[in-house]
Amino acid sequence: MDGAHVTTPDAILDIKGLNRSVLVKPGAKRIIIDDFNFSFSEGQIYTIVGPSGSGKSSLLRLLNRLDERDDGEIIFQGESIDSIPVQALREKIALVFQMPYVFPGTVESNLLYSRSKKHENERNELIDLLNRVGLDEMYLPRNPENLSLGQQQRVALARSLSMEPEILLLDEPTSALDPGASRTIEELLTNLNQTMNLTLIIVTHNFRQALRLGGISLVLIDGRIIEAGPTKELFENPANEQTRKFIAGELR
Amino acid sequence: MIDIGFLEVAIAICLMILAIILARWQRTGTEKELAIGTVRSFVQLVAVGYALEFIFGMENFFAIIGTMVVMMMVGAYTAGKRAVNIKNGSVISFIAIFTGSLVTLGLMLGLGIIKAKAQYMIPLGGMIIGNSMNCSALVMERLYSDISGNKLAIETSLSLGKSWQDASRTYFQRAIKAGMMHMLNFFKTVGLVALPGAMTGMILAGASPLKAVLIQIIVGYMLTAAVTVAGIVAAQLAIRQMFTTHHQLKL
Ligand SMILES: Nc1ncnc2c1ncn2[C@@H]1O[C@H](COP(=O)(O)OP(=O)(O)O)[C@@H](O)[C@H]1O
Ligand SMILES: [Mg+2]
Repeated sequence: MDGAHVTTPDAILDIKGLNRSVLVKPGAKRIIIDDFNFSFSEGQIYTIVGPSGSGKSSLLRLLNRLDERDDGEIIFQGESIDSIPVQALREKIALVFQMPYVFPGTVESNLLYSRSKKHENERNELIDLLNRVGLDEMYLPRNPENLSLGQQQRVALARSLSMEPEILLLDEPTSALDPGASRTIEELLTNLNQTMNLTLIIVTHNFRQALRLGGISLVLIDGRIIEAGPTKELFENPANEQTRKFIAGELR
Repeated sequence: MIDIGFLEVAIAICLMILAIILARWQRTGTEKELAIGTVRSFVQLVAVGYALEFIFGMENFFAIIGTMVVMMMVGAYTAGKRAVNIKNGSVISFIAIFTGSLVTLGLMLGLGIIKAKAQYMIPLGGMIIGNSMNCSALVMERLYSDISGNKLAIETSLSLGKSWQDASRTYFQRAIKAGMMHMLNFFKTVGLVALPGAMTGMILAGASPLKAVLIQIIVGYMLTAAVTVAGIVAAQLAIRQMFTTHHQLKL
């Protein structure tokens, strides 16, 4: 994957030569994203799969500029993300974290959290947001801190959707949840992708989850894409030795 | 009060010796610190006394300012060392303490409430600097622990398009409150539970209680104003180090 770069015509997010390193000690640099090149198409589901510590979270954080890259280009809808005001960018490229954080208050206040500008929100709009994540209007007045983690993650998802993002980044959105709640979220995500044509980039350390989600997978190891392609083919017939090791559970 | 000299101090030291004997007899384990503390405070205070006599004797404006700058530097260094996790904590504290002192003493001088004499500037400056030092150390410590302990909440806010100022406002407010708590509590109990030091000292030195109270009120308001300014400056400077202009958390 590295080196060769093809920009697809329907690219929504085009990444070229992306690098990020951190100073672990004064003078000691550690590369965590190593020459990442990829072109994400609009309306697709992507999963980024790899062992823990391979740089998956770091990659997502570069895409909504929670962290700053060392070099490389990130082109969103034909425009470098540097020329888009950061706060506006984060509404267009939304990030959902592994551990849902809900703000104290009500589910309603959480759904309104990101939208201070357009204040007179229709109640119907909020109900619609809840429905999209499989909850109903009964939840609006509830204190989200008393909900189960799975329900909190759905509130977090609805809260991100309230920004009407073009791309949704999800960092291991189910790894804090039990298997039942995980499946629900997976189904919600594929549904959102189909009904809203929302581009999803989902990080997971579990290739079985990637298989359930479908779409296109990128295998990330030590900050590099070692293999990418349609999820089913990739994991049923991996070309790369390290991908095989990862599937066999030898890489954690 | 009777005239005080070193003889009277020597008698007071007898009290400390009594306390040390008592501590030893009861095996409190504090006798050594008491003994060291007695000697140490004696030496420090007497040295300060002579230094102040010297400065008061000069009655030179620049000597007063120089003394205050030295006190500020010591205070800033101490506060910076307490807030170990804040980069340039001493520099931040210096700016905070300096601003707090400048605003309040400047205003008092400008309004003619005090004169630019060592008798006023040094004790008031000392109190302002000491309290501002405490406040800025507390503010920086609290800011760091709250922000580093709430990364997920803050980055969730940032990811929802909030500015770093909005995402950190709660912690900014809490830190300032923590730094001012001492002052705010003081207001509640002053005169009821505790008689403030300045007032006690004046009454002991023979001033009328009412006059002592009026001066205490002025001192109290001035200290609070100075601490407020210092706390806000320290918090503003410290929090700016924790975020980038691109609304990224740097911790
Ligand atoms: N701010 C940072 N400082 C130091 N090391 C970091 C930092 N962020 C990430 N890393 C390191 O970078 C590597 C990739 O981390 P991460 O992106 O969290 O991996 P993943 O999400 O795939 O588990 C890890 O080795 C991690 O320790
Ligand atoms: Mg991760």
